[in-house]
Amino acid sequence: MTPHFGLPEFGFLLRGLQWTVLLTLVAFVGGCTAGLAVALLRTCGHKGVEWITRIYIGIFQGTPLLLQLFVVYYGLALTGLKLDAFVAVAIGFTVNASAFLGEIWRGAIQAVPRGQTEAAMALALHYSSRMRDIVLPQAIRISLPATIGYLVQLIKGTSLAAIVGFIELARAGQIVSNQTFQPLLVFGVVGAMYFILCWPLSWWGSRMEARLALASQR
Amino acid sequence: MQDQILIEMKGVQKWYGGYQALRNVDLTVRRGEKIVLCGPSGSGKSTLIRCINRLEPIQQGSIVVNGHRLEDSIKAIDVVRQDVGMVFQSFNLFPHMTVLQNCMLAPIRARRISKSEAEATARKYLERVRIGDQAGKYPAQLSGGQQQRVAIARALCMQPKVMLFDEPTSALDPEMVKEVLDTMIGLANDGMTMICVTHEMGFARQVADRVIFMAEGQIIEEGAPDAFFRNPQHARTRQFLGEIIAHH
Repeated sequence: MTPHFGLPEFGFLLRGLQWTVLLTLVAFVGGCTAGLAVALLRTCGHKGVEWITRIYIGIFQGTPLLLQLFVVYYGLALTGLKLDAFVAVAIGFTVNASAFLGEIWRGAIQAVPRGQTEAAMALALHYSSRMRDIVLPQAIRISLPATIGYLVQLIKGTSLAAIVGFIELARAGQIVSNQTFQPLLVFGVVGAMYFILCWPLSWWGSRMEARLALASQR
Repeated sequence: MQDQILIEMKGVQKWYGGYQALRNVDLTVRRGEKIVLCGPSGSGKSTLIRCINRLEPIQQGSIVVNGHRLEDSIKAIDVVRQDVGMVFQSFNLFPHMTVLQNCMLAPIRARRISKSEAEATARKYLERVRIGDQAGKYPAQLSGGQQQRVAIARALCMQPKVMLFDEPTSALDPEMVKEVLDTMIGLANDGMTMICVTHEMGFARQVADRVIFMAEGQIIEEGAPDAFFRNPQHARTRQFLGEIIAHH
């Protein structure tokens, strides 16, 4: 007899949701950290370093994320490094996020008016202070809508992790659907869960964007 | 003391790619001297003062500021920037910091003085530019004239030995020019060494020890304001002064 969609099934979906959130958080925090490094290297003024980071960004933006996950999961296994599915996809998403966030922030850093850096240099502030105190606080504000937008993409994008056998929300939904033969109901619930995660972020992002647009008009 | 040389530029040449912005510029500035730099746009006057604190590198010649040679040593550039204050046409206040924070940041980070000392210094100079009551506001809440006075106070907080002004009143509405010029005149009367790129010829007459006219990256003519305005030697200077006066 096939089970109906009930509390145990819902609990299974919730555990999937948990893994989706955890994977998103790890990838986002890791991606932010590495992405900041990428953005700083990309704007450091040293031609060679800028080229290397440009190639790095190009590779990860120019190839499918799915392929990158395969490489981390199966490719590294071939070299004898057998990774847990979660660790493998976390690495894959982190590296991918670092390239996208790095490029978003590169643009934001360059959007801070040149006069800000000049004023800071004229005040004898060093690179670290110029970045930390002057440029980055303004760049982060500029990049906030795009960064939030990327976070929303990342949440939904974690469903790709299912391909290497990692059970997150979308994969959990597929499993429950196969067991209960109630795909509309199950995927309806799964969709609602994604929506509850993403929609407030999207709303916040567009509100930030509107506020920034207003501020720049003044 | 009065005769001590603060800035010495010798044979300075600067190119932007194939375009030569400064041609063999020699300039000596003594302690306490007030110099007004004028000339048509593109004549290199802004470029010249931006070389003094190394916002622009030069390709040939030498610049010595307060005994420190501005070659490529990071250390020398650092020392020089601590001694040279700069005020920009577009103010360039830090928009995410209050007026007080704008004034405190560099003394804390670059001069490594304590927070309380930095705040005392900042309040002193904000009073001096008569804007002490706005210390808690953000730059966007101030008028252009007020912002430029904050920018002057911010530079003074580093206790510089010389102040560079890069067209400080050009971006201001006419009714705000005076409050900024008055602040600069006050500074000049207190004995600050100043190099001002400006077209405010009234200011030049009132405070300048020397007026320097530049065109096409060269110093064409210089002299005391009286002689400079009454009896300019070069046709190029006469033409420029004619244009300036026609528009004022």
